Amino acid sequence: MNPPEFNRTLRQLIALPLVLLVLMAGFLVWQIVAAARAQEALDVSDQITGQAEELESLFIDQETGLRGYQLTADPAMLAPWNAASQPIQAEFARLRGMLTGHPEQLHRLDDLQAQYSKWLAYAQPILHHDPGVADDPQLTQRGKVMMDGIRATASGMLLHEAQRRTRQYQRAQQLQERELLSLFLSAILVGTILAMFTRHHVRAISASYSRRILEITRRSEELFESRQWFQTTLESIGDAVIACDDQGVVSFMNVVAEKLTGWAREEARGRKLEEVFRIVHEETRQPAENPVDKVRRLRQVIGLANHTMLLARNGQEYLIDDSAAPIQSGRGAMIGVVLVFRDVTEERHMQTALAASEKLAVAGRLAASIAHEIHNPLDSVANLHFLLSAESDPEKRADYLRMAQQELGRTMQISRTMLSLYREPRAPVPLDLKDLIEGVLLLLDRRLQHQGIRLQREIEGSLVVEGFPAELRQVFTNLIVNAIDAAGSKGRIRIRMESAEAGELHGAGAIVEIADSGPGIPRDVTSKLFQPFFTTKGAEGTGLGLWVSMGIVQKHGGAIRMGESGDPGLPGACLRVYLPARTLAGAASATA
Amino acid sequence: MTILCIDDEALGLQIRRAVLERAGYQVLTAMDGPSGLSLFRGNPVDGVVLDYYMPEMDGGAVAREMRSERPHVPILLLSAYINLPAEVVALADVTLLKGEGPVELLDKLRLMLHASGSSAREALG
Repeated sequence: MNPPEFNRTLRQLIALPLVLLVLMAGFLVWQIVAAARAQEALDVSDQITGQAEELESLFIDQETGLRGYQLTADPAMLAPWNAASQPIQAEFARLRGMLTGHPEQLHRLDDLQAQYSKWLAYAQPILHHDPGVADDPQLTQRGKVMMDGIRATASGMLLHEAQRRTRQYQRAQQLQERELLSLFLSAILVGTILAMFTRHHVRAISASYSRRILEITRRSEELFESRQWFQTTLESIGDAVIACDDQGVVSFMNVVAEKLTGWAREEARGRKLEEVFRIVHEETRQPAENPVDKVRRLRQVIGLANHTMLLARNGQEYLIDDSAAPIQSGRGAMIGVVLVFRDVTEERHMQTALAASEKLAVAGRLAASIAHEIHNPLDSVANLHFLLSAESDPEKRADYLRMAQQELGRTMQISRTMLSLYREPRAPVPLDLKDLIEGVLLLLDRRLQHQGIRLQREIEGSLVVEGFPAELRQVFTNLIVNAIDAAGSKGRIRIRMESAEAGELHGAGAIVEIADSGPGIPRDVTSKLFQPFFTTKGAEGTGLGLWVSMGIVQKHGGAIRMGESGDPGLPGACLRVYLPARTLAGAASATA
Repeated sequence: MTILCIDDEALGLQIRRAVLERAGYQVLTAMDGPSGLSLFRGNPVDGVVLDYYMPEMDGGAVAREMRSERPHVPILLLSAYINLPAEVVALADVTLLKGEGPVELLDKLRLMLHASGSSAREALG
């Protein structure tokens, strides 16, 4: 039973008894009115009887007065006559008024009045002492007959009225009985209807109520179970989880979070997040932005800043990788924030070790080239020394010395370039990308020539960016070596360098684009390109080159993207390296 | 005695030529494999001093070509590498690491030329 249905039923439960009671009341009123009418008719009948008797007694008074006067001729005897003759006509009129609607009785009344008039006429001579009247037995006899007639008429009238009254009385009795009966019956009827109706509806409501209770019980059980399920899930996962309300007050944390923060959950619950989850920048140790504030500001899932360090309550420090997400209610309002983080200290050490090993691998890859570059001039210098030792011609000696100087200069330049792969300033320095790339090309020159690769340089003037030169040399060595390997024998490589205007997503800086004529990178591989241990070179490659390069460039606040060369002669890979003019990399954060 | 000297390094080649001439050899020079091969075909050559690491056509390829044409001409292979491929080493009579010095070069060259004729064939086999 849904709420509207429930309301309708409730309304019916109130309305039906009301309607029934009103109907019953109406019916009873009708009955009572009918009974009252019967009673009224009874009263009228009584009044008529009374009135008729009054008239009759007046007649008797008059007759008595008249008889006395007739016998004694004493006017005092006429007192009853006089007393009665005064109101008698009015009494007649009143009785007539009462008898309206009763033609039979009216007819009798007419007779009575007529007989009375005759009798009055008979009485006149007596009243006037007409001679011979006083002792005329015949006259007296006639008066008696007349009076008997009047009495008979009056009695008839009374009898009729009595009969009518009896009938009316019986009718009133009947009505009363009927009234009682109908009261009784209607009470039973209404009671039965109400009982049945109410029983039906109450049963429906009760069933619905029971169903609802069952449903609520089941739901709350389900809710409890799903809560348990989520709790267990959150407890079981290997990452640390902390949930807060929208004010940043901790409401839940799992075992891993307890271990990493050093707070027991009972203690942490109800505290502000920044008290429990203290994070600072790994190097600067400046407090990092409260993730709850950040989520509230951005209204989306955020990965927290790199280089985040968690300071545990017990003084332990963990490098963490974390994310925070808003918890939204069904209506889309933010009701909390959930933080997921994990200890990446080990992972970071591993990455540092990998980056270091990649650096060695780069040097290794360059070793052959460097050996050649150094041995060639060394060989020349040794030869020149041999020639000089036996040469006496000053001009030729000077020539040999000049050549030896030239070869030594070349050796030193190469050794300097090689060392610059390792020697690194503590803080980022302004460096000319053109010089840097030329230096890298110098080391790779032999290799380029050996493979007969045509190198196209589109380098305009000089572009100065801030950065760590050795690391950037490593990046460009990697990218150019990759391009050489991809381009293959007699291939083509284009290196283009241009300045980048400040844009919406990045500041002003430089873009170096390296495109080759190789087979290109298959689509399905593109996404894995910057992952560690991914290589297309088989046993030759470490699979770390691009991963480390990406790390270095990102540290500088730059990015490496796959692009299109726009040149049909260069269908292979086209990598675009963006480096900001002002680096984001902090001091002393050079990759190991 | 005529020596054919092939190296892509201009300055190094020029100096090596002076050293060889000082030792009394006649020297022909080439800056790459193909032009070296054409000199080899057009001139009577008693020995070859060949650089391994050259663009496009390396010393191995040049030596293979020479062996197929005139297998008795001895070849001294110069290289900055320590680990040369075994089949390339097998093609040469003598290998020499760059930077070992002119005395070593001249000694090895003389021995090689002395042994040419009989031992050059052995080395081939």
